[in-house]
This record gives sequence, C-alpha cells and structure tokens, in this order.
Amino acid sequence: MSNLPPGFREPSVEGEFEEYYLNMGPQHPSTHGALRLVIRLTGETIIEVVPHLGYIHRGMEKQAENLGYTQYIMMSDRQDYLTAIQNNLGVCLALEKGAGIGVPERAEYIRVIMTELGRIASHLVFYACYGGDLGGQTVLLYGFKEREMIHDIFEEVTGQRLTTNFFRPGGSRMDVPDTFIPRVKAFLAHLEKTLPDYDRLLTKNIALVERSVGVGKLTKEQALAYGCSGPVARASGVNYDVRKNDPYSIYSSLDFNVPVMYNGDCYDRYLIRWQEMYESIKIIKQCIEKFPAGPYRSKEKPNFKLPAGSFYAASETAKGLYGTYVVSTGGANPYRIHTRSPSFSNVSAVNAMAKGEKISDLVTILASIDPVIPEIDR
Amino acid sequence: MGIMNFVPKVLDPVPGGKYVVNMVDYVVNWARANSLWPLTYGTSCCAIEMMSSSMARYDIARFGSEVFRDSPRQADLFIIAGTITEKMAPAVQMLWEQIPGPKYAIAMGACTISGGPFRYDNYSVVRGAEQVIPVDVYIPGCPPRPEALFNGLLKLREKIMKESYRNPWHEGETSKAGEIERWAEASKAWAAAEKIKDEEMAAAREAFKANPPEDYVAYKPVRVAKEAFPDVERPVVTEIGKSYKELYKIAKSVAPELSIFGKEDSSDETLDSLPKDLPLDVVVSKENYLKLVEFLKNDSRTKFEVLTDVVGVDWKDHFDVIAQLLSVEYGHKMFVRVSLPKDESIPEEKRATSLLASIPSLSSLFVGAELKEREVYDLFGIKFEGHPDLRRLFMPEDFVGYPLRKDFTHPHILKKPV
Repeated sequence: MSNLPPGFREPSVEGEFEEYYLNMGPQHPSTHGALRLVIRLTGETIIEVVPHLGYIHRGMEKQAENLGYTQYIMMSDRQDYLTAIQNNLGVCLALEKGAGIGVPERAEYIRVIMTELGRIASHLVFYACYGGDLGGQTVLLYGFKEREMIHDIFEEVTGQRLTTNFFRPGGSRMDVPDTFIPRVKAFLAHLEKTLPDYDRLLTKNIALVERSVGVGKLTKEQALAYGCSGPVARASGVNYDVRKNDPYSIYSSLDFNVPVMYNGDCYDRYLIRWQEMYESIKIIKQCIEKFPAGPYRSKEKPNFKLPAGSFYAASETAKGLYGTYVVSTGGANPYRIHTRSPSFSNVSAVNAMAKGEKISDLVTILASIDPVIPEIDR
Repeated sequence: MGIMNFVPKVLDPVPGGKYVVNMVDYVVNWARANSLWPLTYGTSCCAIEMMSSSMARYDIARFGSEVFRDSPRQADLFIIAGTITEKMAPAVQMLWEQIPGPKYAIAMGACTISGGPFRYDNYSVVRGAEQVIPVDVYIPGCPPRPEALFNGLLKLREKIMKESYRNPWHEGETSKAGEIERWAEASKAWAAAEKIKDEEMAAAREAFKANPPEDYVAYKPVRVAKEAFPDVERPVVTEIGKSYKELYKIAKSVAPELSIFGKEDSSDETLDSLPKDLPLDVVVSKENYLKLVEFLKNDSRTKFEVLTDVVGVDWKDHFDVIAQLLSVEYGHKMFVRVSLPKDESIPEEKRATSLLASIPSLSSLFVGAELKEREVYDLFGIKFEGHPDLRRLFMPEDFVGYPLRKDFTHPHILKKPV
C-alpha cells in the first residue's frame, strides 16, 4: 500500500495482468480542457482514477478581493464559458440579496429567456461533444450549428457571443432590442423542427447505446455523498433542481418539469439533457407569451456596495448548482467571494463512476459529466 | 529539410539559378501555408471559439486548417487558445517541443498576449505566451471571434509566403526581456506617440481655427435625458423546509454552545428577524463540529445529505471554515461555521509558510468533502485532521505560501497601477 503514488489507495488486485499507470492530460482531446487524470489499470480495467486539478487555476477569488462587486461578474463569465450568462445571474442573485435590490418584471423575463437559451446552448455543446468523443464527427457539426444561432441572439442583445457580462444587480446592463422576441420565436420554431432530427440521429444509434448503457454507474447515495448536482445527480435519481426546489427569479410562476432518471449511467445522463432542452423550450415559450413592457432594471446605484455580512445565492446552471458566497465588510471591494462550481463536485465523482470500467469507457464517462475545467479550478 | 537549405548556396551563383530558388520557395511556401494543421489544444474560453471556427458556420476548412490533430507530432500550428498558468506552462513548452518544425504559433486571446484580465493581482497566470514559447501571430479579443482567428490565420499565411530557403525557417526566440522592462519600454513608446499626437492635434486645431470651412457649425452637445429607473421591492420569501427555529433547536440539542453567526443572542425574535432568503448560519465549537454535522446528516428531521461546499474565510486574527449543507428532501440549507484561532506559537517569519489551524475532516461523512477540503488546505493552510489524502489541489506541490490568506505575498504578483 505504502509504495503507491499519492492519491491511490485501492488494494492491489491479483489477476492475470500486471498493474500499470496511465497519464491522461493535461493536454488531451477528451478531457475538455486542462484536466489531468492519472489512471491505475490492470489490463484494460480501471482500478482507480485520481484527478489532478489546478492546471487552469487563475486565482479568481484572490483577484476578486481587489475588484469591485460588479467587476466580479466579468470573472464569472470566464469560469464556465458555456453557461456564462447563467453564471452572471448566479453572481447577481447574491449581490441583490446583499444590497436588498428588487428586480422589475421585464428584467426577470429577460433573465429567464436568456438563461434558458444559454442552457440549450450548453446542452447542445454537450450533445456535440458526447457524439464527437464517441467517434461521431457529424454530430459535432450539427450540435454547433444550432448553437451559433443562439449566439447570434446573444450577440444582438449583449454585444458578445460567449462572455456575455450582461446581468447587473437589479436587472441587466441594457434593454433588449425590439427584434429580440421575434428572433427568439423564429429560433424556437426552427429548433423544434431540427431537435427531433438530431434526437433521431444519435439517441437510438447502436454505437452510442452500446457504449453508454450501463457504463459509469453512479448510485443515488454516491451522487449525494459526492455532492453532485444538475443532470449528473438527476440521472441518478436525485430529484433536486434549484429552479424548482429553491426558486429564484420567476421560476415559481412557470410551468415546467424536472426530468429525473434512475439508472445513473452515461445513457441516462445523455437522455436527461435532451429532456431538459425540451423543458427549456417550454419555459421560453411561456415567457414570450407573457413578456411585459416596462423598465429593464431597477434604480441604478453608483459605487455599488454591500452592507457588512455574508450572502449566499444558489442558481441552476446547465451543469448544476452554482452557488456564490459573498463576504462583505462594507467596503468597495468584496472581502471574499467564493464560487461553488457544479463541475468540481461532478468531476470528483469520476473515480466512483470509472471504477471497474474499461479504459475506453473513461472517455464516455468524462463526456457524460460534461465538465468545464476553468470552472473547477477558478 | 537539411539538403534543401543548401539549394540557394548551390543555385544562386549559377546564372538563372535564383529564379529556380524563387520557384522552389514559392511552391514549398504555398504548400505549407495552405495546409496548416493545428493541434487540438485549449485551456479555456478561447478553445470554444476555436471549436466554433472549425464547425459548419465558420468552417476553418476554407483555410486548409480543418485537420485538428490530437498528437503534437502530426501538427504544425499551435493555436494557444486560453490562459496559461504557471502549472500548465511546462506542458505547453513540452507540446511545442514535440511539434516538428517548421512550426508556427498563434497566440489567441488577451490572456496569451499579456495575461488579459488576469494580469494584475494574480499569482498563478503567465503573462503572455511569449514567455513560454515563440509566437508568430497575436490575436486580440476576449475571446476573439472566429473571424478574428481567420484573420490571424491569413496573417500567418502572409508571413509563411515570405519565407525563403536563403534564410531558412527558424523557431524564433521567446521574449528574453524581463516583464517589467518590456512594460517600461512600451509605456515610454506610448508616451512619445501621445506627445507627437498632441502636438499634431494642436497644430491641426490652430490651422482649423485660422481657416474654418464655409459650412462649419460649432458643435452643440445635446443633453440626453437620463432614464429614470424605479425602486423595486424585493419579493417576500418564505423559508423552505424546516423553519430556522426548528433547525436551530435540533442543532442546539447536540451542541449546547451553538450560536448564530453575527448575532449576540439566539432568542426566538432574533431567529425570526433573520433574512429568510439566506441559509441559517450557526457557529459551533471545533470539538462538536464533526458530531453536529454527523447528527444533522443522519437525523430524519434535518437530513442534510449533501455537502455542497467547504469554504474558508481569513479574518486576519482567525479563520472561519464553513460547511455548507443542503437537504435534497426538504430543501433547507444550513451553514455550519467553525471559528479557528490562528496558532500564535509559530514564529513570525515562519507563519506565511506553515499551517496555522486545524479542524476535523468531514471526509468520513461525505466522500465529496475530500477534494473540497483539499482546496481549503491548499489556499488557506488549514489542516484537516483525519483527511486520508491531504495534498495541495490547485497549486503545484512546491508552491510556497497560501494564496487566499490576507497577508499573502508572492514575487509573481504585479500590483495594478492606480
């Protein structure tokens, strides 16, 4: 036991093959960024996976101590760049709680439409990468096709494709243009036609089904113990969605379902994202119907400051529970900002999922978690 | 291509030979410039834009670079997409050395030019890719659009088309000048340019005043009415799951010294006056911490089954470690906070590099606590007793100091000029 490399602790397996170690990353096409995994194998079977993090640790939390509160919203873009707009919202929710700012109705609708579009965009990237990692290059092209249309809407509204930096405490940075609602409508009409096609293309595909059904099992107990959230936890039977169980914004007045599945394998994690995309479309449609006129933000406060105290807000990004913990001493800069990133907990469960699987299944498992590494390292 | 490098030496003295060399150059450069195979490499946001640019809408195949190679040995273009950190830098260097020449590097995004948003007050980001490997083309943007990447690619093609065997391809050098000197040089050049600009502008203004055009109308600013935004009340929220009073009573039965963070007393009025949209934040002693969390996890009334996070806060004289608990079944949340006084017995000069406090580990209750506690250990220097594998998580093993402490200093940090 004692001569194992750091992090490994499973007892040796007596078998016909010799034990050996394999390094994956930090530069690897299937790790979705600078993630490094050290894998202990016997033959082709994984005994243990140890993640080594920090290859993209950018010290955001330290840097935030020298930034203003609203400047930190820019940092949240760069944590999870696939769901940047949802991270913006997560930070703003915490700041609003601290400053006691309310949000006008129109701003809430803008927020929900934008974040749900972001969720679809993120899940489309998941779909593309999941297909791509399993060898289907066509899927990679299709997933990104619809995503570009969402980015067109983002660009028109926020001025940026990826790092939106759009929401502010009390509303958003600017109003949406008049073309926003017609454009979203047209996009949804297009998406409703194409999504079933993509669904048909991959979901029943024999190569995908064979490689993901029963692979990377995570039980409900394990998912809870590792603190998993989002689609990863919901595929294991954990019925928790911040939008439903701890509603923020106007989610309590909207009608949508939280899909839950119980097998906890890669295929369930794949299917659950499909259902979430359909639910997101449902949410956006409801918002478009009720989209009100009025101010897009509440009263602007120059030199935004929080009273002394600590504040916490949770929100549901495409990856899971995104929590922002802000400690303030009353100054112009935050005393401490901590981000609870969903991918961090989800990736910590990779060992539990991969134990006993084959080495090639590790790629499937990683793709099914859909991690974003800068969000883990921050 | 060793032999090819001698071609100009042999052919140039021959009458008409230089035309042959020119033609060889043109053909070789044409081939190189039109099939740049990039390496699949990306650390952060720019990588997604790089992926976007290779997809159907933007289609990098129009420029002959659609073949993203997973192995550096098959690539000849290194698109450095995303921030490079101190820990990643050796890997980047190794990747660059593994690419066979002639090879080219494109620095994509602000982080790879100067550190971008992470330039100042940062202890872990390398300020610019040129510190690590030689760069041919820089693309500004955060992140740059796919069109910007294509512009960079075309610029690189222009550069390649100018190459010749008379002056064979060379890898180039990383920037030797120190960070600070380069910064000083750049600011001097900038100031000089500004001065010239000011002088030119003053001269132009004089000339304009002396001889204004006939249809000249002086500019009158139009005052735009500032939009008036209303004050909006926050909606009334109710507690989810068990009320604060119940939770507090349940917790108090296990740890009698329990108190509410930031409040003097714990009467019913105080518990009622707590903001309902924030979790109940209780302070517990170090001795009862593990006992309390275990009780809250297993008790059927609370069922805090999920440890969402472990957070550290440095309050100059003491540390706070906060275990953030969540009950999936009821939906209520609770922060269990332990105040840890800093170890005063450690001499002043060793304080920055030594562990100043210790707390029992929650890893026996929650497996997921392992990595989260390693993060607090790494960034604050707080020891977790009973942790099975307490190592640094984000920073390299040989990193000195604990970054999130308030008195942390590091030679790498560049203070933001005010």
